[in-house]
Amino acid sequence: MSMKKIIGITGGALIALFSAQTTFADEILKVGVSAPMSGAAAAWGLGFEYAAEQAVEKVNSEGGIKAGGETYMLELHAYDNKYNAAEGAKTAQTMLNRENIKFIVGSIGTAPVRATQALSERQGVLLFNTGWGKSIKGPEYPLTFTQMNTPFEILAPFFGYIKEQHPDLKTVAMITPNDATGQEVEPVAVKTWNDLGVEVISTDRYERGTTEFQSIATKIANSKPDGVDFGAAPPADVGSIMKELDVLGWDGVKIVAPGTSAGTLSKMAGGAAEGTYLGASADFQGDSASETQRKLNEGAIAKLGESLNGITISSYDAVMALKKAIETADSIDPKKVAETLPTIIFESSYGPAAFGGTDVYGSPQQILIPVMITQVKDGKAVEVGRVAPEELRERLK
Amino acid sequence: MELQVQLLMNTLQIGSVYVLFALGLTLIFGVMKIVNFAHGTFFTAAALIVSTIMIWGVDTMGLSIWLSYLIAFVLALLVVCLIGFVVYVFGFQYFLKDLNGSFILSIGLLLLLNGTYLILYGGVPRSVPDVIPGNITILGASLTLQRLLLMIVAAIITLGLYILVHRTKLGLSLRAVAEDQEAAMLQGIPYRRVALYGFLIGATLAACAGALMATVTPVTTVIGDDFLVKAFIIIIIGGLGSVVGAILGGLLIALIESFGGYYFDPSTATLAMFVLVIVLLLVRPQGILGHAEK
Repeated sequence: MSMKKIIGITGGALIALFSAQTTFADEILKVGVSAPMSGAAAAWGLGFEYAAEQAVEKVNSEGGIKAGGETYMLELHAYDNKYNAAEGAKTAQTMLNRENIKFIVGSIGTAPVRATQALSERQGVLLFNTGWGKSIKGPEYPLTFTQMNTPFEILAPFFGYIKEQHPDLKTVAMITPNDATGQEVEPVAVKTWNDLGVEVISTDRYERGTTEFQSIATKIANSKPDGVDFGAAPPADVGSIMKELDVLGWDGVKIVAPGTSAGTLSKMAGGAAEGTYLGASADFQGDSASETQRKLNEGAIAKLGESLNGITISSYDAVMALKKAIETADSIDPKKVAETLPTIIFESSYGPAAFGGTDVYGSPQQILIPVMITQVKDGKAVEVGRVAPEELRERLK
Repeated sequence: MELQVQLLMNTLQIGSVYVLFALGLTLIFGVMKIVNFAHGTFFTAAALIVSTIMIWGVDTMGLSIWLSYLIAFVLALLVVCLIGFVVYVFGFQYFLKDLNGSFILSIGLLLLLNGTYLILYGGVPRSVPDVIPGNITILGASLTLQRLLLMIVAAIITLGLYILVHRTKLGLSLRAVAEDQEAAMLQGIPYRRVALYGFLIGATLAACAGALMATVTPVTTVIGDDFLVKAFIIIIIGGLGSVVGAILGGLLIALIESFGGYYFDPSTATLAMFVLVIVLLLVRPQGILGHAEK
């Protein structure tokens, strides 16, 4: 046998062996998360990352995602976007251009989401996000999906419930961060209050990163509103403002529509946080929580010392939606997955969920899950009301 | 009238910490002729140490809040002094009077230290229990006893620094070096040693501000950066290197924040500060009490 033949046979055998091995090996599908993991909104980012980790672990332990004859194991890459557009753009560059990620299973903050979206839509990457801005959805952004309730889903039932509980609530003062999230939430909130017959007597904005809230607290307390709507302010900022309002003797109805972390709020504001209504929190220890939510919540408390909430648990739901959509589309092409997402019903942490919202956004890019209204009692979020979206009820029929 | 008193009280509450923080920054600039962008990390380190040690003292060791705070405060100053010494000896002493070199070095340090704090402490905001719980009303203005304590301590430290700079031999050396380094050296003043002392005093002042603020605001690993921006505005307004200028600038910025935040909104007040700096740079670039470069 000539040397040429020996090399040829050995090479062929090696190629065959290598091919056989790769046939049996699972493919890796990278998924990304961009969320604030430092600063005032860090509690959101860290919980968000934790819930995504749990979802990825669950999917992988159940055999991964099957599509196009392949099995894909998920690999999570999480980045700190510091809740600002500049860092959002930086993390987007890293995810899309360095890691070549095609599916972002969660992004927090309208400003960083917009920065990410500018790249993701252009590069054909699917983007799940918690952005509260209406402008990030619509037919012109076919690859963008919102994974949690936003003001358009939350505010009407949330404010309505509060008005029912406090019929004497006639005036509200509003304070919100001066960024994309705050600017988009403010007009929706004002309109919703007005529709309920409540006058918004002042709307003020502050820069994220502010540490001194005395002047704004003085202004609010002096205008003697029946309630204060903290707009899109994160828990640590809300806690600081509440503390100052308490010093000044103001004691009215406290409303935090994106209110999530009752623990952080109580830690920062102490007793002043009691009775606060939260629109994006959840009582995942209460009777209405699902088994999945209860388990995830227990894990989060053990690891982070903080309960999960409407924002943080949404990364789990996004991963579950992604799995179902990829398997239904039988493809990992983000465009095909995006086209499939509005057609599926998937098992979220809340139970069966779907994507809809065409009436509001012009295309079905909004997750359909219940709105949960909670109140801070003894430093914990206790569920006091729950409203399921009409569109989801119809879809599940 | 009550409202004006409340707003003035807010000014003093906000201004007292701004002044302490800015004094350190201006002192370092005056003596070393460098702009230290890592100054906020000294503030952050002290606040983080106080938040950790206090909770450990109260919850684990069963110490009283007062004693825990005292231990935490002293420890915070010592650790920050040590950090200051290390970054001076291994970094800043090679870039004295070098604005470009010190700029790059301090930005690098800022990233390094902020990253280290994030790894060590995580991103979740921390809070510490009130050292003195309760509120007080002064001429109709309400504030917490904790804030009152903070204002008093900040005022004492500021007065102490003023005395140190204007009434002691070290202060004379610091001023001489700030005025004219070569002339000071000809008089036998050891410039490098004085620069080290100036740097350590500056770092300690930032640490004092951080240790005081930890009791009244959520502590995060980037808390010092928020104060750094304001401190730059303050020392530009007051005059780079001027101690009295930093005090005046700090109070002026606090006044704008307090009254502007009330009569307009906090974002407008922040904008007003930057407009003030732009106007001042156009009409009096050396600041209110700064000396014009020849």
